[in-house]
Amino acid sequence: MTSPTTEDLQAITEQVWLSYLDPEGVAPFLPSEETPSLPHVIAAVSVTGAWEGHVVMSFSESASQMAASALLGIEEDEVSRDDIADAVGELVNVIGGNVKSLLPDGSLLSLPHVATIDEGVNKWPAAVEVCRLQGSWQNEPIAISVWTSKSTG
Amino acid sequence: MKILIADDSRVMRQIVTRTLRQAGFGGHELVEAADGRQAHDMTISEKPDLVLSDWNMPEMTGIEVLRALRAGGVDVPFGFVTSEGTDEMRQMAEQAGALFLITKPFTADNFTDVLGPILG
Repeated sequence: MTSPTTEDLQAITEQVWLSYLDPEGVAPFLPSEETPSLPHVIAAVSVTGAWEGHVVMSFSESASQMAASALLGIEEDEVSRDDIADAVGELVNVIGGNVKSLLPDGSLLSLPHVATIDEGVNKWPAAVEVCRLQGSWQNEPIAISVWTSKSTG
Repeated sequence: MKILIADDSRVMRQIVTRTLRQAGFGGHELVEAADGRQAHDMTISEKPDLVLSDWNMPEMTGIEVLRALRAGGVDVPFGFVTSEGTDEMRQMAEQAGALFLITKPFTADNFTDVLGPILG
């Protein structure tokens, strides 16, 4: 079965940044080896049906604050936890929706889930990672990954 | 004209509002609904001239809202603004009576192209 690739994630991410986070084209998402360390904010949507898996974004806390600030048009120090959840949840929803358009018909997208991981681990026990894009936005790390069910992948 | 923006994400309602302004439609009256049920009820109570609706929402999905409105004889111009734009969904939207489906991420130019003929 065809699965999304890192190049697909890169194309989708570029569009999302140009539309919402970097409309002037001055602060793009820059792919690199950097990955968010703990604590970080996780936003995920699941795909069920013809294809099963997860689309997951992780942000450094500062990156999640900057995203909420940029999307809501408010100062970073005015951003609440709810604002962050809404902002990163919507980002993963848009990226997940675009990933879904690459998947077979009959796949369904869930509503987003957002969590802050302070310590320990975050697991997707029934899934394997199929592609990952990681890098930084204004020097803050962000990673986007796609996971598929071990049984359908 | 009055435009109802239905999306469970406050962030996305804000982005739609901003994009409407950037596309030159800032002069219209805007009302907001935070889930599908509210979108349905406010379409009836507020009588907007256009509904811009997300697809995936709690309580009722956008397509359920549109079908319920049409079943109730409400003929308001209705379009989707959604992160998913598969052929399957476009077909469902069209069959239910939607005028358009704008996929996220969108730009002000997308709004101008699609909404220009409707909003004048």
